[in-house]
Amino acid sequence: MDNVSELLHGFTIAVTVPHLALMAVGVLLGILVGVLPGLGAPNGVSLLLPLTFGMQPVSAIILLSSMYWGALFGGSVTSILFNIPGEPSSVATTFDGYPMARDGRPTTALATAFGSAAFGALVGVILITFLASWVAQVALAFGPAEYFAVYFLAFASFVGMGGAAPIKTVVALAIGFAIAAIGIDTVSGSVRLTMGVDELVKGVNFVVAVMGLFGIGELLVAVEEEFHARAVSSKIEWREVFRAIGRLPRHGVALLRSAAIGCWMGITPGGPTAASFMSYGIARRFSRRGRYFGTGEVEGIISPETADHAAGTSALLPMLALGIPGSATAAVMMGGLMIWGLNPGPMLFVDQKDFVWGLIASMYVGNIVAVVLVLLTVPVFAALMRIPFVVIAPLIVIICVVGAYSVSNSYLDVVMMLGFGVVGYLFKKLFYPLAPLVLAIVIGDKAEDAFRQSMLMSKGSLSIFFANRLVTCLVVSGIALLLLPLVLQLARPFRKSTAGETSAQEKVII
Amino acid sequence: MISRRALELATAILTGSFGVAVAVQSLDNGIGWSSEGVESGTFPFLTGLIIVAGSLYNLVRGAVPAASLASVPVAITSIELRRLAGLFVPAAIFVAAIPLLGMYVASAAYVFAVLAIPKHQSILRSGVTAAATALALYVVFERMFQVSLPHGALAAALGL
Repeated sequence: MDNVSELLHGFTIAVTVPHLALMAVGVLLGILVGVLPGLGAPNGVSLLLPLTFGMQPVSAIILLSSMYWGALFGGSVTSILFNIPGEPSSVATTFDGYPMARDGRPTTALATAFGSAAFGALVGVILITFLASWVAQVALAFGPAEYFAVYFLAFASFVGMGGAAPIKTVVALAIGFAIAAIGIDTVSGSVRLTMGVDELVKGVNFVVAVMGLFGIGELLVAVEEEFHARAVSSKIEWREVFRAIGRLPRHGVALLRSAAIGCWMGITPGGPTAASFMSYGIARRFSRRGRYFGTGEVEGIISPETADHAAGTSALLPMLALGIPGSATAAVMMGGLMIWGLNPGPMLFVDQKDFVWGLIASMYVGNIVAVVLVLLTVPVFAALMRIPFVVIAPLIVIICVVGAYSVSNSYLDVVMMLGFGVVGYLFKKLFYPLAPLVLAIVIGDKAEDAFRQSMLMSKGSLSIFFANRLVTCLVVSGIALLLLPLVLQLARPFRKSTAGETSAQEKVII
Repeated sequence: MISRRALELATAILTGSFGVAVAVQSLDNGIGWSSEGVESGTFPFLTGLIIVAGSLYNLVRGAVPAASLASVPVAITSIELRRLAGLFVPAAIFVAAIPLLGMYVASAAYVFAVLAIPKHQSILRSGVTAAATALALYVVFERMFQVSLPHGALAAALGL
């Protein structure tokens, strides 16, 4: 029971007045970016990143991760009250959350969402508590070949399970790799892919990409549809909050199933967005009241919310234990870790015990803080949505511009950010996934280094990826995941009966 | 009005040409195996090839849309296009003006222009919002976090 004592030690770090204050600040900022349509968790966290350079790493990660929890909750608020998903991962919450709120039960919808979200997050954190150090232990024995195999598995699972068109995912991943390669090659020291622009020697910072892809890109998508923030009443009736949360255990099966889907998708990395859609789809198929989904069903809120938060939380497990982030936001946080001088991966559990267990303990506390704060501030943030979009949009543009500039005081970064914005818009519009793109930018060169080191060890022979049972297993499951979409497509004609049920959502994502 | 098909094709061509550029550029770094191991151009070259291959697939998929794609022929309507331009064009002008005007003047002018010219808000309110934006930027960045934002050629010419 080493983990428990480590965790208790972590609590002594996390539960201090300054850290609780940081959690509250982080959660509030997170709800803010979650509520605002152009800003999301990935660029919210990247905006805060430069401000954390002077902090202790453990304080910095508590601030950033609390912001992540806040953003996950904030996205659900606008989904339910306004039918506008503040975060991509809360799109599925609009399907039943908004109808329920419109029918005059906004408190029930919000409380159900937050309650199941907290449950999902709790399952995710418990999983991290008991599994992360074990995974790290195993990973300590990894050589470059094993590392490359794990990276390969991570990228392959985006293709196999990410929910987007597989070839589009491959293109997004490869573009991310190419962007990661820009600048000085860490192995040979030679300059690569600068396209004749000398300043690109410094490479393309992931924050610049995130600001453009998620900030400007999302803003451009949002401006297309003129929103009418027709809010249903945002008044919270406290008695109903407790009643709704008290009713949650009746849906135990849905809760557990969604949490399991979320954890799986978070670790493997499929990401919270894919997790919430998958969970909603499975719930609709298996629930006894499946045909009422879309009209304000309780399980239609529980399923995406639980999976969303379970995935968001457990996405930190591979980031901590292996150095592979499970979601776009986790990728940004991992970039932060590297800037603070920590090396994400199994050695964290040996060298930086305070950091790791302080973070894990803060996840328990931070989610409780988040539930309380989000319930208390729903009316405030709902009022914020009534500020006209034409006022908010230029402010978000300015925030993204300043955010991109302040990364390395470079005007070129601002121009590139705008370019990434156009790419982000096109990709969102055509259902190219953005998370793998960001993931590849952050860990692309690490994957490449691992590959080249293993090639050096084996003198250029690919057989090193089949040298022992572990690495073979990883590589083979990676290849299997890559081929999964192909197999499913070939198998489709044989199961005609279910093909007719594909939802409109699936139809659009070719 | 822009059709989904045109948008798919344009994006595939965009990603494809990026792939070509990546592949061609990495040839300079050398691809393949040398005495020092895998040469530094190899990995980018392969990713370039994957981008090109994937883009070609998407191009064909976009040109000959599957039945499911045909059900959503319009990607951007003309009204949406106008709204997009209304956001993006001023933003691009704002970014272009930063080297000349500096971050503070450019962002104040940007906010003012976006609010006042389409008459979303009165001149007075737009002016107040614009001034508040620039002031907030100055206080947060220059004062609180000691991050110097670009002051621009104009400020330099005025000797500020």
